[in-house]
Amino acid sequence: MTIKKLFDRVDSVRLENITKKYGEQFAIKNLNLEIQGGELLILIGRSGSGKTTALRTINRLIEPDSGTVSINGADVREFDSVRLRRNIGYVIQNIGLLPHLRISENVGLLLKLEGWNEEEIRKRVRDLLTLVSLPPERFMDRYPHELSGGQQQRVGLARAMAMDPPLFLMDEPFGALDPLLRTQLQDEFFKIKKELGRTIVFITHDINEAFRLGDRIAIMNNAELIQVGTPEELIFSPVSDLVSEIVDSKRKYRHIDTLKVGDMMQPLAREDTLDPGMSAESALDLMVRKGLEFAFVMGKSEVSGRVCLNDVLKARTRGIELKEVTRALPLFSSDTTLIEALAKLKSEGESMGLVLEDNEPAGVLFSDRVLQNLI
Amino acid sequence: MFLVALFFSILIGVFIGIFTYRNPKFAAPVLNGLNVVESVPDVALLVLLLPIFGIGTEPTIVASILYSLLPIARNTYTGLSNVPRVYIEIAEALGLTQREVLFQVRFPLSLPLIAGGIRIAVVFTMGVVTLGGLIAAGGLGAALQNGIQLYDMGTILVTGAWVGFLAVLLDGIAGIIESTLKARYGTWS
Ligand SMILES: Nc1ncnc2c1ncn2[C@@H]1O[C@H](COP(=O)(O)OP(=O)(O)O)[C@@H](O)[C@H]1O
Ligand SMILES: [Mg+2]
Repeated sequence: MTIKKLFDRVDSVRLENITKKYGEQFAIKNLNLEIQGGELLILIGRSGSGKTTALRTINRLIEPDSGTVSINGADVREFDSVRLRRNIGYVIQNIGLLPHLRISENVGLLLKLEGWNEEEIRKRVRDLLTLVSLPPERFMDRYPHELSGGQQQRVGLARAMAMDPPLFLMDEPFGALDPLLRTQLQDEFFKIKKELGRTIVFITHDINEAFRLGDRIAIMNNAELIQVGTPEELIFSPVSDLVSEIVDSKRKYRHIDTLKVGDMMQPLAREDTLDPGMSAESALDLMVRKGLEFAFVMGKSEVSGRVCLNDVLKARTRGIELKEVTRALPLFSSDTTLIEALAKLKSEGESMGLVLEDNEPAGVLFSDRVLQNLI
Repeated sequence: MFLVALFFSILIGVFIGIFTYRNPKFAAPVLNGLNVVESVPDVALLVLLLPIFGIGTEPTIVASILYSLLPIARNTYTGLSNVPRVYIEIAEALGLTQREVLFQVRFPLSLPLIAGGIRIAVVFTMGVVTLGGLIAAGGLGAALQNGIQLYDMGTILVTGAWVGFLAVLLDGIAGIIESTLKARYGTWS
């Protein structure tokens, strides 16, 4: 096992002024994009808009005509291209398994070339296949053409993870699948993504997939980057009609300015909240009994906010009142407009706010749930 | 004797195939050279080799090898050069070196075509080995040539049938290997 890691973790991938032409035609034109460590960045756009080209400059499969790509601040041209590629997991568009190798050999190819011994490779391949929900004993010894498209895509995913890379490039990994299988694979991938916690650049042309999986979304059109931002930013402040068209906001979010906070909040009853004056001991009791990780604290006209289990524990050991450890949350009334509420949450960097009706707790507004309900 | 000839043909033929693939400058001259050898009639070739190797087994083996080289080398070269571009791109994208691409991807994917070349070589080798009886190489060829010289119809028929049978058998085996490989790799070839 002699894997020399180029980087233990990826803190940033930066594409600066990247241009690539084929003949007279631009495949990408002056692209500037920074991918942050640990995020899943989606590249989306029509076919031929330059997504694959942009992705491939990162592992040097394509050398741009001008501009620099750097990982953790180091120009990728400083790395040996073979080494670089082995440190980046790449899921190839249209699956890309090698037809003459068994599934186990496809997944373990790089491990073999890196000098792992048979037993280590077998164990690793088993683990990886299990991770992508392919029972190893059923699949290891088969050839790619004996598998369905969906199964082959999982193998492609497993292969990209073989060397445990800190960075993944995924080119339409779930493309060309029927919708049901696609959803299933997305769910599985979401779990894997959480477990791995890696930096991922992910190409898709499916906006729903982008919203489900992406932390941020970069929209490309005609070789250019049009806008990059969180799903909320694209929906609520698109820079052009093209962006609204792609995020479909014209059709789906047309009615958003008529919505009120009350329409989108999660209801909350008085007995589900904690009283600011109650002792930490009984608060803890209540939370443990109800299995809550955090709870809302609401008084008649006193501070309102939330506490998490940890805070309550702290309050107990230090013998202080619950309200001392309560974190204040933005307050809305149920007839505040949704747009206004979301903007406030965003500016305060909060993911939730409390909703009051007649000074009584009525509900909670979660910004990410609002979005999910709308999509 | 036949197997020895075949073994060396494959070894040298595949080597030439890989060599010409890696050094494309040599591809045309080497393959054309082999073509010339191929066009020399087998009896003439045997006679040409007599002064060098003397009478007996060696010239026959050398002649069979010379004859078999072209189909094997040519098919190896063609196979390596014509592996679909997508598979090469996959291998490069994963981070294989050029050498690894050659031996882990190009070569295995060319095996069906190389097997096809060996099949042709088998048939050539049979022909030459049979003729080898003329120059005291022994084996079935010797018996056949004896029969011809003595005009013994029985011997000719029996040995002739044997040679034919062996040729068909070996060709069949090589054919099975070829089609198994193709089936295993799926539909691309
Ligand atoms: N090897 C190539 N030779 C010529 N043109 C190319 C090549 N690769 C890509 N292109 C062109 O560059 C543009 C962008 O391609 P690509 O990055 O593959 O788009 P996407 O992945 O967004 O579909 C397209 O117009 C495509 O035709
Ligand atoms: Mg593409």
